[in-house]
Amino acid sequence: MANNEMEKSPAMGWKELYLKEDWWAIYLGIGIVFISLIAFLNGSSIVKALTINPGGLKWSSFDQLSDHFGKNINLYALQLVSWLVIFGISTRIMGIKTSEFVPSFIILYVLSIIMFAIGGWVDAAKYNLEPPLVALIIGLIIANVVPLPKWMDSGFRVEYYIKTGIVLLGATFPIALIASAGPVALLQATVISLATCLTIYFVATKMFGLDRRLASVIGVGGAVCGVSASMAIASSVKAKKEHLYISVTLVVVWALVMIFFIPFVSKLLNLNPGVAGAWVGTSEFADAAGFAAATAYGKMAGNENAAIQGFTLMKVIGRDMWIGIWSFIFAMISCLKWEKEECGVKPSAMEIWWRFPKFVIGFFVASLLMTGITAGYAAADFNKIVKPGLILPIVSLRTWAFIFCFLSIGLTTRFRELKSAGWKPFGAFTIGVLINVALGFLLSDFVFGSYWMNLGK
Amino acid sequence: MKRIMTLACRDCRFFNGDPASIEAEFPGLKSLSSAYSSVRADAGICNLRELFVSPSRGCKDFERTAEFHAG
Repeated sequence: MANNEMEKSPAMGWKELYLKEDWWAIYLGIGIVFISLIAFLNGSSIVKALTINPGGLKWSSFDQLSDHFGKNINLYALQLVSWLVIFGISTRIMGIKTSEFVPSFIILYVLSIIMFAIGGWVDAAKYNLEPPLVALIIGLIIANVVPLPKWMDSGFRVEYYIKTGIVLLGATFPIALIASAGPVALLQATVISLATCLTIYFVATKMFGLDRRLASVIGVGGAVCGVSASMAIASSVKAKKEHLYISVTLVVVWALVMIFFIPFVSKLLNLNPGVAGAWVGTSEFADAAGFAAATAYGKMAGNENAAIQGFTLMKVIGRDMWIGIWSFIFAMISCLKWEKEECGVKPSAMEIWWRFPKFVIGFFVASLLMTGITAGYAAADFNKIVKPGLILPIVSLRTWAFIFCFLSIGLTTRFRELKSAGWKPFGAFTIGVLINVALGFLLSDFVFGSYWMNLGK
Repeated sequence: MKRIMTLACRDCRFFNGDPASIEAEFPGLKSLSSAYSSVRADAGICNLRELFVSPSRGCKDFERTAEFHAG
């Protein structure tokens, strides 16, 4: 059967260009960068106006807040329509129902304004009311107390928002920094990924006697990029659905714990924000969760940029990019060793490209583009002209994308719906987490600390 | 353009690669990931064996889809 040769439909191929959110994140991110650039070069303030949010108000009375919204209601309406158009059209093309997306996104937008407003309270920092953590907690409370209808998830697109934000982040990320710190990030990521994956795999199979496919799914899930990695490896090794259920539960629970654990331990240890960002990038499981943790600690430590840079270098460049290679290796092991009789087509090295998180390309393109455009400005002109007119509006739009993401994490996490993982998988994964967190701290603070401390300057 | 390839899960009636169905099947998946991501590629669920598989894989229980018959 499996060896018969017949005509069949082709793989996804070029359809990926309009069916995958990674590509849409690139189109939106790069599109926003171009529009911002055109507006900047023509002296237009339209993009700047559309980045409005109450996060920087430092308000101390509700009168100030209502006065701000009263004066800017038209801008907020225009901003909402702009987001609705760009996200609404793209999600429609990907196959998400517009009739579900629009009302859901409007609710997400209103909640986001409330998060910004909380962050803009004059005493917010005093009470550690960092918008990423507040957004996450409020989202979790709503999702687990209020019975939200399932269709609302159509607007809570965690990954789409974070990927769009990461492409926008590329526009404010100097390419020279990637070139200088990238190799360190790769080295640290290789050490941590191998140590974590092998620990989980061997504890799961040798100590707890678990299925090697389950061990590989939770091993790479814990070592590389959480649920996304679990999906990739599950399909490579023909894992049972149950294996993926287990991995999703373990990753979601531990990722949520780490969002709070790493920032608050970093605060206790008074860690440099670049070092803490690298630690988050080493030990968090998902991009969305990691950005929440890194942004929160960056705000606590007064240098958000350093924490985000450390995280991005370690997680996006150091770990995420290599999921295709992990996937290919496990597909080969599965096909050649574990299931020789029912392999089907031998895994192709093209798997590395198919599974490559394409939004990373957008991050690099945005970085190269902006580095090239701003290279001709002297430092004084950059700070006086380019930063307020071009960079800060892009940063503000990125912050919007991140807030949509952080809220969406909470709003889509319903603990009662998560499947039980079982004690053995939980034990194996937890041992891997402990190794990962401890080793991540040692590498980020002691071994490579001198590199990470220089970020954000 | 049609290609000569080996029979694989992609053209099996038990295979479901629809991203919305995958997100509905795995609670929590969209909290920190997405079935619309490049990383998933076009992997999906085998409804016969209860597996999560790459569409290029195959097995002895392969049964063609209606679309496959239509050519």
